Amino acid sequence: MKKTIVKSIAILVSLSFLFVSCTGKEETPVLRMALQTQPSTLDPVYAVDYSSGLITSLIHSNLVRIDTEGRFCPDLALSWEISKDCKYYLFHLDSCNFANGRSVKAQDVLFSFKRLLSPSTLSPRWWVLAPLKDARIYHEGGDWNPESVEVIDDSTVALRLERATAHFLSLLSMPAAGIVCREKVETKEINYGREPCGSGPWSLSRWVESERMILEPNHFYVGNKPSIDGISFRFIPEAMTRIAEFEVGNLDILEIPHAELRRWRAAGLRLEKTEELRIVYIGFNTRKYPFDDRRVRRALNMAIDVDAVIAKILFGAGRRAKGVVPPMLRGGAKQPDAYRYNPQGAKSLLKEAGLENGFSMEIWQRENPEGGRILECVQAYLGNIGVRVKLVTRDWSAFKQAVDHGTPDAFYLDWFADYPDAENFLAPLFYSSNAGGGGNRTWYKNHRVDSLIDSASSLPDNEMRMKLLFEAEGVVFSDAPWIFLWFPVRYEAISGRLNGYHIPVIFNGQRFLDVSF
Amino acid sequence: MLKFVIRRVAQLFPILFGVVTVTFLIMYIIPGDPILSLVGERYDSETIDRIREDLGLNKPIPFQYVDYIVRVVRLDFGRSFVTGRPVIDSIKEYFPRTLILAFSAMLIAVVFGIVIGAVSSLDRFKWLGRALMTFSLVGVSIPVFWLGLLLIYFFAIKLSILPPSGYGNGSLRYLILPAVTLSFASMATVARVSRSSLLDISSEDFVRTARAKGLNEFVVFGKHLFRNALIPVITIVGSDFGSYLGGSVLTESIFGWPGLGRYIVQAILKRDFPVIQGAVLFMAVLFMVVNLLVDVSYGFIDPRVRVVEKEE
Repeated sequence: MKKTIVKSIAILVSLSFLFVSCTGKEETPVLRMALQTQPSTLDPVYAVDYSSGLITSLIHSNLVRIDTEGRFCPDLALSWEISKDCKYYLFHLDSCNFANGRSVKAQDVLFSFKRLLSPSTLSPRWWVLAPLKDARIYHEGGDWNPESVEVIDDSTVALRLERATAHFLSLLSMPAAGIVCREKVETKEINYGREPCGSGPWSLSRWVESERMILEPNHFYVGNKPSIDGISFRFIPEAMTRIAEFEVGNLDILEIPHAELRRWRAAGLRLEKTEELRIVYIGFNTRKYPFDDRRVRRALNMAIDVDAVIAKILFGAGRRAKGVVPPMLRGGAKQPDAYRYNPQGAKSLLKEAGLENGFSMEIWQRENPEGGRILECVQAYLGNIGVRVKLVTRDWSAFKQAVDHGTPDAFYLDWFADYPDAENFLAPLFYSSNAGGGGNRTWYKNHRVDSLIDSASSLPDNEMRMKLLFEAEGVVFSDAPWIFLWFPVRYEAISGRLNGYHIPVIFNGQRFLDVSF
Repeated sequence: MLKFVIRRVAQLFPILFGVVTVTFLIMYIIPGDPILSLVGERYDSETIDRIREDLGLNKPIPFQYVDYIVRVVRLDFGRSFVTGRPVIDSIKEYFPRTLILAFSAMLIAVVFGIVIGAVSSLDRFKWLGRALMTFSLVGVSIPVFWLGLLLIYFFAIKLSILPPSGYGNGSLRYLILPAVTLSFASMATVARVSRSSLLDISSEDFVRTARAKGLNEFVVFGKHLFRNALIPVITIVGSDFGSYLGGSVLTESIFGWPGLGRYIVQAILKRDFPVIQGAVLFMAVLFMVVNLLVDVSYGFIDPRVRVVEKEE
């Protein structure tokens, strides 16, 4: 009796293992990637998070786009002309098709742009097209100015701006300016954010809520066809699980967390790296005492050995921020000199500011293990010059609300570029009227910086424009509204079967048209 | 029995009303703003105001509360602020996956828990019993997160016999690791409780009588011992199962299991009020129904429970 029981259990166990192991992995010509969160929407006008922006850009085309290297390239527009005063743009459209087979016409550009700006759309990204003539008036409920977007014929569209905006092409490359298919948007039964129809190289094939999303080639796409059969995005919240999926061969591309870098480097795997268009900083609330005193802010910059933090916590995966514009966007322009690690100098500056006995402050952060480790270092460094730091951790929503309302003394945050232009690291972050939710979360106010940014944005000459922007950067850097930390380096592991993939400098720069197995 | 059930069902309504009210109020007390999840990193205050007005969040709180109660009574859970999807559609999609996971975990917990408990209660297997009880102590203490990663490491990476994560269209292979992880703590508790319960009962008079009657040991165990030892086990299973039905956030996150737990946590992080309110209400109803079923099942297993109710 006992023997029979033991025998049957043994058979059952072996059978179950056989069952699970015989359904092995299958090789598919589908690119397999993982995202931490699923997109909230695939509607360009509402896409504000990373996942939504990334996938929306694969499904939709813009007039122009930015390639993996960060350069402008034609998308829907085959070519364009810009008037001398930089206020008139004429786009000649290529013959392109939406995923439902209908060809894209200039009228679709008008429809999409008007939709983004319409007050009834309630798009948080309407500002992308704010430079268009009278766009603000229309957005606030006034009349639409037909001159702003003019359909000349089916394949020519002209845009007229309120005033010259040097980075206007960059704005047109953002996901929000994607061209949508009118009949799909206007079909009431369809939630466009879940059933998008764009003219990009990919179209949505399947969306399994919270699990995966599969894109297939847009069969009517006219440009270079992708050489892979599809892209599968798995939504895996845990970094360790994403790593396990890559290790067993279920993913082709994996972003490696900094804490794991040493192991992956030692394993000699195929790694790609790129300096991200992103800056990590600790912002001061410049309206609060004692952070309204530039000497205090400069002192805190001098009190931290940023290079040591990069080496120890990030394992070298970051470049010291000397200024706010990433090196890639400087076009060879010199960076300001970094704040030298000098605790004695920092103490003297504090003494000069009447704070020889130090002071207490709070630094807020959102929940993030790496941020916690970094801030503990910062806390220790600042402790050395008598600044008693209390770290406050909140979830993202509470953190954002507090920072946008100017509650914390200081906060640990980063800024991702919307487009590869130095302007995107200055205007949103330091222009005084962008204080709070506009991006300037330190409430920094300097008329010289404002006027330099203003002058730069209307200059057609790029060299002159950059000169003004870097001058503004110099002023900001010496005013030190932040503790300038680093530009992170992104590492990705690539599976052995994947060819032709490069990490894009901007999140929507990679369209996976050149990758193959 | 019917009266008992009716009375228990009637008791659910005031509790539900409490749940609805507390969930509603908590949303307004905790810091964070749902609109900030919708607008990204760069926004202007006019846009925030307009979206707030569009979502009806600019009305005074008592008005919003009344609106909400009216909607709940009509069984209208609204749409997610973030995705625009009807909450009920999302729950319909997420719940079956959570149900599968919870059910499998409970099945593993009950079957293995009772077997471990029973074996370790027998004098004959003293050393085995001790080993199993130590194992169950470890099971109760082990953090789910760590266990999940450990299982992924061994079964997915080292042995390559199971997938590390995902739902895989409901395929059994994808279910095994999350179900085992989720079941662990319950299995250990079931084992410990069933062991002590079996030991208590085995010294009762009626068990001795059954043995004295010369009944087969299997009959003594199955008919007298086991049935009586089940009551505390059912209590544990009921409460654990009820809470698993609300989704198991950690297990679902580690294994990328697209269940209700992850859905709710995402909604909480984004302050997606309609989703939080709808899902919490749904979970509360489920939890109460499961508990009601547990109470009713006592009646079947132990007729004295019904008798007491009648006498009251």
